[in-house]
Amino acid sequence: MRRPSTLTAYAFLYLVFLYLPVLFLPLFSFNSGTIVAFPIKGWTLDWYRKLGEQDTLIQALWNSLGVGTVVAILSTAMGLFAARAFVRYRFRGQRAAEGLVMLPLVIPGIIVASSMLVLFLFLGLKPSLLTVVLGHTFLALPFSVSILKSAFDDFDASLEEASYDLGVGVFETFRRVTLPVVTPGIVASMLVTFTVSFDEFVLAFFLSGNQPTLPVYIWSQIRFPAKLPNVLALGSILLLTSVLLLVLAEYFRRRSSASEVR
Amino acid sequence: MTDRNIIELRGVEKRYGTFVAAAGINLDLKEGEFFSLLGPSGCGKTTVLRMIAGFQEPTKGSVLIDGQDMEGVPANNRPTNMVFQSYAIFPHLNVGNNVAYGLRGKAPKAEIDQRVAEALEMVELGGLQDRGAGELSGGQRQRVALARALIMRPKVLLLDEPLSALDKKLREQMQFEMRNLQQSLGITFVMVTHDQYEAMTMSDRIGVMFNGRLKQVDTPTTLYARPCDQQVASFIGEMNILPAQLLDETGDTLSINAAAFGRMEIERNPNVATSDRNMNIGIRPEQLEIAAEKPEDYPSTVQGTVSNVAFYGENIHYHIQVAGTETPISVSVPNYFHTVDFNRGDAVWLGLQGASVIDLGQSTE
Repeated sequence: MRRPSTLTAYAFLYLVFLYLPVLFLPLFSFNSGTIVAFPIKGWTLDWYRKLGEQDTLIQALWNSLGVGTVVAILSTAMGLFAARAFVRYRFRGQRAAEGLVMLPLVIPGIIVASSMLVLFLFLGLKPSLLTVVLGHTFLALPFSVSILKSAFDDFDASLEEASYDLGVGVFETFRRVTLPVVTPGIVASMLVTFTVSFDEFVLAFFLSGNQPTLPVYIWSQIRFPAKLPNVLALGSILLLTSVLLLVLAEYFRRRSSASEVR
Repeated sequence: MTDRNIIELRGVEKRYGTFVAAAGINLDLKEGEFFSLLGPSGCGKTTVLRMIAGFQEPTKGSVLIDGQDMEGVPANNRPTNMVFQSYAIFPHLNVGNNVAYGLRGKAPKAEIDQRVAEALEMVELGGLQDRGAGELSGGQRQRVALARALIMRPKVLLLDEPLSALDKKLREQMQFEMRNLQQSLGITFVMVTHDQYEAMTMSDRIGVMFNGRLKQVDTPTTLYARPCDQQVASFIGEMNILPAQLLDETGDTLSINAAAFGRMEIERNPNVATSDRNMNIGIRPEQLEIAAEKPEDYPSTVQGTVSNVAFYGENIHYHIQVAGTETPISVSVPNYFHTVDFNRGDAVWLGLQGASVIDLGQSTE
């Protein structure tokens, strides 16, 4: 059957609308003029060179990297246990529990952010990188749980039984069989959750206090027109890094499905 | 095989909610015996095996291994090892490390290496230590699973449908190999299977299960010749089942009037519960004589028409429609002379000796 050409045109326009604005970002980051508009004055790498000279930017980068790493470890560790329980066991309230874990995906970020801020202040926790880590872990958990659930789905339950049967206890079985077999899933989960945290703005804006993460720093710089090309250069780098990390994560996720033994 | 019991099941029952997976299981397995649990899928045979292994606890009754009650003893502390239906080869370890898995940290490395080499030699995979788990064929995976279990020197080896994933040729070859392995090691093997031929060729004794109950425990020859009821009779091999009336009984000889074949004297089957006026008899297809003329040396004969012919190579199966019974009688003839003697529609005679008729006891209908 021939597809109607209007549908093809629609799909094409849709993609253009979605991705063209994103492509302007790297384009203007090479523009030597400070005004973000056509025509482009000339080509330069200056904006990229100047990035390294800005101490607050470097500090924000380190903040983001640190938060992202801790969030990746925390949410993946928690997701590992949750995913194993969801796939292996049937228990009362399972559907409710699975739904609750996925909830952060649909609650508006601004609601989560403001209620978390209230909660942390009530608990006496000052906004800092610690509160950002807690917030981001909450946000990243649905990602790690769903990635790891698919890793456990492909995992033959008799592998663990075979290990017990060979005289090995529960914890050692987890270390010697379960962990290594789902390792690709774990790597995928860590890459994705890291990216989720690294790119997140709303929660970080509310919870970071005077320790900005990179997106919060970028937002603060947008107010100064002279800094704008600099922000574009930084944004382009972030864009590239995120895409690379997610591609890598997808590679590991597929490998975890492929390693299943029939 | 010794007379010592290595496994004793005492009134074992397993329930899942209201579903009874197995009930009233009493079974003694001898040391060095090759025992098979045979039954259709869902009959509870795997549940029984998993209760011996320790993956499931009985709801009632007890499992004793080597005289010790196994209640509360987890699978990793039982002197049994299992070959799983999926083989459960650890995908991240090579053959050597798979086989060594259960010994790691429990013996010096040199000893482990030595035992791994021996175990692989035993299953004819000598020297394949470095082969990756993903590079193995179905038959090799099965051998690795065997070696991995046997290296633990278990008192009992449990096998869950060990040959079901293999193709027919390999399956037949492995039946002999596993039987030889079991005999040379003298370890008790307990195998779960739904394949009656597998059970018959390999086992010293077979336990036949239906609907969670152990129906009959006997040697393959007894099961075949003296099944305890109609259900077992038709599950093990092919069986023609005909109604009959009991006329008289003297000692172990029953005088009966059978459908189609008429009056004859048959031997009492000690395995069936009761005899009744309305009873069933069983006739194995290979016990019937088929001929164009009325056979002289057979006391019971009947005339019929060939309704179907199936050529199996080593055997030819005929379905014969006779007066006095609805379902055609199945007859199997060895293919001696590479000829199929009868065709559809041919008029033939069937001949039968009373000695080859099996008393199946009371009619269940």
